[in-house]
Amino acid sequence: MTNQLEAAILVFVLFTAGVYLSLSRRFLRILFGFLLISNAANLVLIAISGDPTRRPSATVGADGLPHSAVDPLPQALILTAIVIGFAVAAYLTVLLYRLYTDRGAATMNSLYADKAPGGAVARQTEGDP
Amino acid sequence: MSATALANLAALPVVAPIAAALILLLFPRPNLARRVFAVVVLTALLGLSLWMVAHVQAGGPLILRVGGWLTPYGIVLVGDTLAAIMLCLSSFTALACVLYGFAEKPTADEHPMRLPLMLLLLSGIDLSFVTGDLFNLFVAFEVMLLSSYALLTLEATARESRGALPYLTLNLVGSALFLATCGFTYSLLGTLNFAEMIVRMDPLVGDVRLTVLAVLMLLVFGLKAGVFPLYYWLPGSYPILPAPTAAFYAGMLTKVGVYVLLRLFGTVLPPELTGLHTLIAWTAGLTMVIGVLGAVAQGRVQKILSYHIVSQIGFMVLAIGLFTPFAFTAAIFYIIHHIIVKAALFLVGGVIVRANGTDDLDRTGGLWRAAPWLGIVFVIQAMSLAGLPPLSGFWGKLMIIQEGLGQREWVLVGMSLLASILTLVSMLKIWLGAFWRGAPAEPLNYDGRAKRMTAVGLGMVAVSLVIGLGAEFFAKTAKHAAGETLDRAGYVRTVKAADARIHEGKHP
Repeated sequence: MTNQLEAAILVFVLFTAGVYLSLSRRFLRILFGFLLISNAANLVLIAISGDPTRRPSATVGADGLPHSAVDPLPQALILTAIVIGFAVAAYLTVLLYRLYTDRGAATMNSLYADKAPGGAVARQTEGDP
Repeated sequence: MSATALANLAALPVVAPIAAALILLLFPRPNLARRVFAVVVLTALLGLSLWMVAHVQAGGPLILRVGGWLTPYGIVLVGDTLAAIMLCLSSFTALACVLYGFAEKPTADEHPMRLPLMLLLLSGIDLSFVTGDLFNLFVAFEVMLLSSYALLTLEATARESRGALPYLTLNLVGSALFLATCGFTYSLLGTLNFAEMIVRMDPLVGDVRLTVLAVLMLLVFGLKAGVFPLYYWLPGSYPILPAPTAAFYAGMLTKVGVYVLLRLFGTVLPPELTGLHTLIAWTAGLTMVIGVLGAVAQGRVQKILSYHIVSQIGFMVLAIGLFTPFAFTAAIFYIIHHIIVKAALFLVGGVIVRANGTDDLDRTGGLWRAAPWLGIVFVIQAMSLAGLPPLSGFWGKLMIIQEGLGQREWVLVGMSLLASILTLVSMLKIWLGAFWRGAPAEPLNYDGRAKRMTAVGLGMVAVSLVIGLGAEFFAKTAKHAAGETLDRAGYVRTVKAADARIHEGKHP
C-alpha cells in the first residue's frame, strides 16, 4: 500500500481545493470546485486498481492471467463514474447559466438578494418556459 | 416457467419504465394516448410488484444474474420481500401522482418531458431496490438523481430554480463520497457484490477499517435520507416542485436512502457494529425532534410538510438503530405507512395552493366549507401522520416505541413521543389555518379539476385506511421482510444457489 501515498496526497489536495472552491460565492468557482471533487473521487478508484507489478487482480484466480495484469474492474468503474460525472457537470453548468441569464446573478449573494414572499404563488403561473 | 426464467421478472421494474420513457420521447407532443400509455405501464408494474410480494414470500427471492455472470464477478439483481414491498410502493405512488398530474392540467398544458422523466426517475428508484451490487447501486442513484435534477427545474420559475442549487450541490458531494466509498470497499474486500461482501466482511469484524467504511456509508445514505445534521437540502428544494412531482419526491426519494440503510446495515454489514447502531439511534432521535421543531416554526403548508419528512425519517432510522428483528419490522411497516400518507398530504397541499393561489396559512381559510372531501383526506392522513389509533401511523409508532421501551431507551422514547405531539400541533396549525378558520379566499379556485385531484387523494386515504385497519396482515409481511433482511447467511445462500443452477446447465 505504500506505493499509493502519492495518490492519497493528490486526492487530499483535490478534495480540499474542491471543497474550498465550492464553498465560495461565485458560480464559476462553485462549478470548478465540483469538477475537482468528482475528479478526486475518480482518482480514489484509480488508486485502488494499484500498481500493475505488485497488486494481483482481484477478479482473476490462480488459473487466470499473470499477476502483472491490472485489475480491470476499477477501470470499468472509473469509466462509468466519468460519464456520470460529465452528465452531472453539464447539468450544473446549465443550471448556473440559467440562473445567470434569468436573474442576472453570478454569485450566491445576488441570487438571494430579494426576500419578497410568494414563491408558491409564482408556481401557479402555469406554462413557465 | 422455470425458476431461472421467472427470475428475469426481477429486471422488469427497471427495464419497463426506461422503455416506456423512451417510447414517450418518440411522441413529444402531449396527447391522450401518452397519458393512457403511462397509466397502463404503471398499473402493470404495480400488478407485477404485488404479485412479486406474494410469490417471493412463498417461493424465496427472485435472483437474476445479469448477463449470466457468476456471483462475485457480475451484477446480480435480488428481488426479495423487502425489495418487492418497496417496488409496490414506488409504482403505486408514481401511479397516484401521475393521475393527479393528469387531473391538474389539461392534456395540452402538460410539459412533454414530465412523464418521461418521471418514468426514468422510477426506474432509478426501482433499480436501487433490486440491485445486489454496491457500484450498481451507485449507478441507480445517479439515474435517479439526474432525473430528479431535471424534474426539479423543469417547470420551476426563474425564482424557484435557485432552490435546486442546494439540492444539486449536496447530492454532488454525496455522489463523490459514495464513489469513494465504493473504491474503499473494493480495496478492502476485493468485491462490490453484496453476497460476496458479506462473506469477506466476517473475518474483518473488529477491524477499524470496516467501521470507517460503515461510517462512510452512514454519511452517504444519511444525506440521501435527510438525517440530522444532513437534512437541510430537503425543506428548501421540495416546495419548489409542482404538486404531483413534489408528492412523489416526498414519498419516495428519502425513503430510498432509508431502504439502503436497512439493506446495508441489516444485510450487508456485520451485526457486531453495535457502537454505530447507537449512533444511528441517537442521530435519529435528534432528527425527529429537530425536524418537527422546524415544522412548527413554518407558516406554509408545503414547508411544514417538508420538515415533517425529516422528522418522520427519524422514526424509521431510529428503528434501524434499535436493530432487532422487531425493530426492523417496525421500520418496514413505518415505511409502508409513511410513503402513502406523506404523498397524499403533499397532494392535498397542491390542491390548497391551487384553490387559494398560495399555501401561506395566513392567507388561506374556510376550505372545510368549500371543499369538505379535501378536508376529510387531510384530516385522516394528518391524524395518521401524528399516530392516532386506529390509523396506520399509530401501529408503526407503537411498534417502534414498544421496542424502545423493551431496550430501556427512555430518552429516545421520550423524544419520539414529543415529536408525535408536536406533529399533531403543526397538523392542527394547517387544519386551523387552511380549513377551519376564516372564510374561503375570493375567488376560490375549486373547480372540477380540483375535485378530481381530491379524488386521487381519497384513493390514497382508502389504501392507508386498509393499512391501518388491516395492520396485522401488513405487519406479518413486514415481519417476513425483516427476517429476510437480517438473515445474512440466508442472503448469501440464495444468491449462490442461483449460481449452482448455472453449473447444472439449466440456463441457456
